[in-house]
Amino acid sequence: MNKPEEKQSHQLAEHFFRTEYGRLVSVITRYLGTANVQTAEDIVQETLSKAVDHWQQHGIPPNPQAWLYTTAKNHTLNILKRKSVHRNFEASSRTLTDKSAEWEDFEPTSATLSDNQLKMMFVCCHPALSENSQIALILKILCGFSIAEIAHAFFSSHETINKRLVRGRRQLRENKVAFEIPPDLDQRITIVLKTIYLLFNEGYFPSQKNSLIRYDLCLEAIRLVQLLLAGPITENKADCHALLALMYLNASRFEARMEEGGLGMDMEKQDRKKWDQDLIQSGIRQLQWAMRAGKSSNFLILATISAHHCIAPNFEATDWPAILALYDQLIVLENSPLVHLNRSVALSKAEGNQKAIAELLQLESRTDIGKHYLFHATLGELYGDENEREKAIGCFEKAIALAGNQRDIALLKKKLMQFVPIR
Amino acid sequence: MKEFLLLIRSEEEPKAHLSPEQLQQHIEKVGSFIKRLTEEGRMKSAQPLEMEGRMLSYKDGKIVDGPYNETKEIISGYYHLLAKDLDEAIAITKKDPRFQEGIWRVEVRPIKKVEGIN
Repeated sequence: MNKPEEKQSHQLAEHFFRTEYGRLVSVITRYLGTANVQTAEDIVQETLSKAVDHWQQHGIPPNPQAWLYTTAKNHTLNILKRKSVHRNFEASSRTLTDKSAEWEDFEPTSATLSDNQLKMMFVCCHPALSENSQIALILKILCGFSIAEIAHAFFSSHETINKRLVRGRRQLRENKVAFEIPPDLDQRITIVLKTIYLLFNEGYFPSQKNSLIRYDLCLEAIRLVQLLLAGPITENKADCHALLALMYLNASRFEARMEEGGLGMDMEKQDRKKWDQDLIQSGIRQLQWAMRAGKSSNFLILATISAHHCIAPNFEATDWPAILALYDQLIVLENSPLVHLNRSVALSKAEGNQKAIAELLQLESRTDIGKHYLFHATLGELYGDENEREKAIGCFEKAIALAGNQRDIALLKKKLMQFVPIR
Repeated sequence: MKEFLLLIRSEEEPKAHLSPEQLQQHIEKVGSFIKRLTEEGRMKSAQPLEMEGRMLSYKDGKIVDGPYNETKEIISGYYHLLAKDLDEAIAITKKDPRFQEGIWRVEVRPIKKVEGIN
């Protein structure tokens, strides 16, 4: 019997195509300009498609990366020559010949690739774009996910995601966004970090059906911050370290949160042995880096809260007073109803459920937090713990009515069942 | 052993809608499928086809372009396969991992045996 595995000397690294997609689109956009990012995406898709035709017949070449870059390069040069994208080049003072010559000299080293991806990150997070478009562009362009995959991960439709991409690309064109590390870095890094954190949170919500791709979103968010930290940028390093710490620490609980049936499991019930100790250690190290700047920030506080959970031997032994104090600090920086809502959980553990319930009712009277299903779910838990069955049922029913997607509804229904008497 | 021509059919540009991750899986899975059959001596040839090309026909005394298909269906590649009989050729075809992608159709046709020619 033949064993083809033994003869196949060249194999592709995991997610090789996806990673190279992001790198290639970034490099090509550098030459075509951000107005032509769609052309760059098409070139790369076609390059990968060509690779499929060749490699499935002849096997994977010894240097697959070089193969992709040469093919993409030739394809781009042809397009540059064909003038089909000329009209979008006016913004640049350099001539096409210059661009072609430069492109021909391009060598894919890790430094140039990172540099281009970094610039692409700032392009995708341009302040003229909506948050939705920013996230969609990052996932499509930098992370190499398809529209279908993004829609799947976001419980959204192909049309919705495509619209966000189309709108985003149009805004890049209309605003003549430059492919560069922006001069107003301080502000811009804040937007990039915020977008990456949103991306991470999208991935962090549990779901069985697509848990794999969602965990990949988390890993991509982590990779993007690592890229920022490895780059030449010196501004806001503390914030980058803090966000990275937060993501490592939260990601350490990713697997333990999954329950059979795909619903999320409350931290109280998680098997702490399943928490990833390597990620926790990496998170703590990043936290130490972040603290050196001596400046408080949302990410730093959130990461410190997460670290408190990670190092507690069990749920009861968690340092709730410390976590409550951290939430108080967070409110000084971000006095939002959602932060108050999260604080109420720490308050209930540190000072009792009744106090937390009173706080929440007060919060509901002065804000519109009552429109959010999480408010009623949190209140329902507290009533449940206090054996106020009727009130708990009412809260969960309200939460179910307000919840936006099937995953949340399924989880809430399960909680509701605990309080409904068996008939 | 009998010879078979497998016509791989799809809509135009079938791979344009696969994600980079799916394309990589395609290479790994379909690539090893082809490789194994080639090493077993069953696959005589396997080639993808370019999406462009011309359709020629004879009309009113001269060779003309077309007629083209109304549908967008296109032959995007072929396998030249050896098998005991049609049933075995079909059984082999069914193992092609490309079917998991849901965008391919494969037509299995025995190559006609003509005395003195093949």
